[in-house]
Amino acid sequence: MKKRPELLAPAGNLEKLKMAILYGADAVFIGGQQFGLRSRAGNFGYDEMAEGVAFAHERGAKVYVAANMVTHEGDIEGAGAFFCKLRDIGIDAVIVSDPAMIEVCLTDAPGLPVHLSTQASATNYETLRFWQEEGLERIVLAREVSMEEIKEMKRQVDVEIETFVHGAMCISYSGRCTLSNHMALRDANRGGCAQSCRWKYGFFEADELLTDEMAARDEEPFSMSSVDLAMVRHIPDLVDAGVDSLKIEGRMKSIHYVATVCNVYRQVIDAYCADPEGFEFNPAWEEEIWKAAQRELATGFYYGVPTENEQLFGKPRAIPQYAFAARVISYEPSTQMATLEQRNHFRHGEEVEFFGPGFVRFSQRIDELYDESGERLETANQAMMTVRVKVEQPVATDFIMRKRKAGVVSTPVPSPV
Amino acid sequence: MMIQLVTTAQSVEQAEALIMAGSDRIYIGDSTYGLRHKGDWSFPAVREVTAIAHRYGKEVTVAVNNLMHNEQIKSLPEYLKELKTIGVDSVTAGDPGAIRMIRNANIPYWYDAQTLVTSARHIQFWGKRDAIGAVVAREVTLTELEIIQQQIGLPVEVQVYGPTCIHHSKRPLLTNYFNEIGRSNTLAEEREYYVSEPSDADSRYPVYQDDNGTHVFSEDLTLMGQLPALLKGGLHTWKLEGWHAGDAFVDIVRLFDKARSDLLNGRFDRHVMERRLAELQPEQFRLGTGLLLRNPEEIK
Repeated sequence: MKKRPELLAPAGNLEKLKMAILYGADAVFIGGQQFGLRSRAGNFGYDEMAEGVAFAHERGAKVYVAANMVTHEGDIEGAGAFFCKLRDIGIDAVIVSDPAMIEVCLTDAPGLPVHLSTQASATNYETLRFWQEEGLERIVLAREVSMEEIKEMKRQVDVEIETFVHGAMCISYSGRCTLSNHMALRDANRGGCAQSCRWKYGFFEADELLTDEMAARDEEPFSMSSVDLAMVRHIPDLVDAGVDSLKIEGRMKSIHYVATVCNVYRQVIDAYCADPEGFEFNPAWEEEIWKAAQRELATGFYYGVPTENEQLFGKPRAIPQYAFAARVISYEPSTQMATLEQRNHFRHGEEVEFFGPGFVRFSQRIDELYDESGERLETANQAMMTVRVKVEQPVATDFIMRKRKAGVVSTPVPSPV
Repeated sequence: MMIQLVTTAQSVEQAEALIMAGSDRIYIGDSTYGLRHKGDWSFPAVREVTAIAHRYGKEVTVAVNNLMHNEQIKSLPEYLKELKTIGVDSVTAGDPGAIRMIRNANIPYWYDAQTLVTSARHIQFWGKRDAIGAVVAREVTLTELEIIQQQIGLPVEVQVYGPTCIHHSKRPLLTNYFNEIGRSNTLAEEREYYVSEPSDADSRYPVYQDDNGTHVFSEDLTLMGQLPALLKGGLHTWKLEGWHAGDAFVDIVRLFDKARSDLLNGRFDRHVMERRLAELQPEQFRLGTGLLLRNPEEIK
């Protein structure tokens, strides 16, 4: 037996929060209406937070709030009251990067644990020591830290360490990129990042324009776009290094992503920690991870500095894409009928997959599809409509039905404007 | 009131010329502990430049503003001890671990966490922890800089000339790119590379790679026209970055020195000075004001 690290998942809204926890997350991180870095993610009002906290705490899970904005003059107004409110709601910790915000939280809302955000780029043990002395409980490391460096940090300092195991990543040190500010007037450190790193740039040497010459040779334009992180095959290394919390990125991502990724990492962590010697990696875990992938996957900086193979150039490789087709509302074992809430268009005769917490999964064809009144249906084409489907294996409430999408993943290059 | 010109230097000789041209503080650094300094700034050179600066009653600041990994932090106390022995006047630092060690070594430091330094309260946090001043993010507008300076007793450094870093990746993005397109061995230190943004073909952002990864710079900033506002707003620490200004840099610093005395004597002529700066500016790089003159409300 090994001590199990926390599995920490993103939750862009209340439904995602619940699904993340049902699918195995020990904790979730959410955003409030203010002070966050994801202005476009669905953020939580206080009532929703309270509901999320109640749901999580009933199941032994925790809720953290990301308040990792890099504040300018005036932005910090109300932060003290905000932190007090979070503490009173029962939020388990806040994730903060700006020292001004840290100070406000520690002074105005004592008792509310503070985690240092990855935006602060903690990259060495002395920095961990500094923040621990200031009263922080946990440090989310910069994504540039290697496995060996984590081990050294754990030897040097006794503070909780959280690292990213999955999801999209900045190609810069997080927080140290203002391309978006300068090129799109959108502040990357206040939730407005235009993903300028992923644009295609003209390239020059000295004062000589190389772009035309390169275009003539059909060369790839300059870009700085990182593939995504996936440590699914390397969880034993992270557990052995003593990492306290394994974080999944993606408050903007879908329910399908959150459920799929949590489900897999839950399995890997539990399997390894229960029997480290007998642990064997199950290829089905990785197969499952790819169903929620939006870019190529790699291991970031854990085992070395990423090369061109960990950047996106040229046409993206075809990765089959899956959609969240429906959510199971209820199931009758006697008739094998499942009641579903539709989330994406699907039809009679289509191949689908069901999956649920605990890594239950199976594929089948939709042979029987009915509407609420029992009339046969050809297609389930209305958003949130209730339908009934005959399932070949038992399912339960909150199982997900996914289907292969017609296309493949090709995350579009974001446009400059 | 004392206006201080802080200038980068790429060699001991250039540093001396810059001091003669009006620089009050020479800013240098080594790539192990500092970010983005050209030239060899090993201990003998630091010792030499410090002796020269002190002879003229000027100062030397050494960059210790890197994002330190364990290996760098391990050797940092030795480095600081030597800087202390040499007698440099101050360092810049933004890594809290490095700051912890700098305070232990009793060396005055300017807080410099680059893009993250954006408010008075943030600076005050470090002021309470012995910072003697702060390098504010170049994304902070002049309007905001004035508000920040009014609230704090510490000097705030404003960049009045040259490019600033707008992207720092730990990855070797130029090497990766050249490998991708099959151009081997093209990454030579003497070569300079630039990118232009998709919607502005005339833009030129220098891209530079070293042991610390890849750095993208902004256009060349200038606040020549806003020096009277800086003076009035109490913003008296003026930084000039000579990254790619070459031999023109000494003349550019001399021009800012003249601008300073003209201002103090009430003889500052904005148009003349801006024209003279444009004449000195290397022609391939345009001058701009970055985000400095933007209305803070414009930046979302």
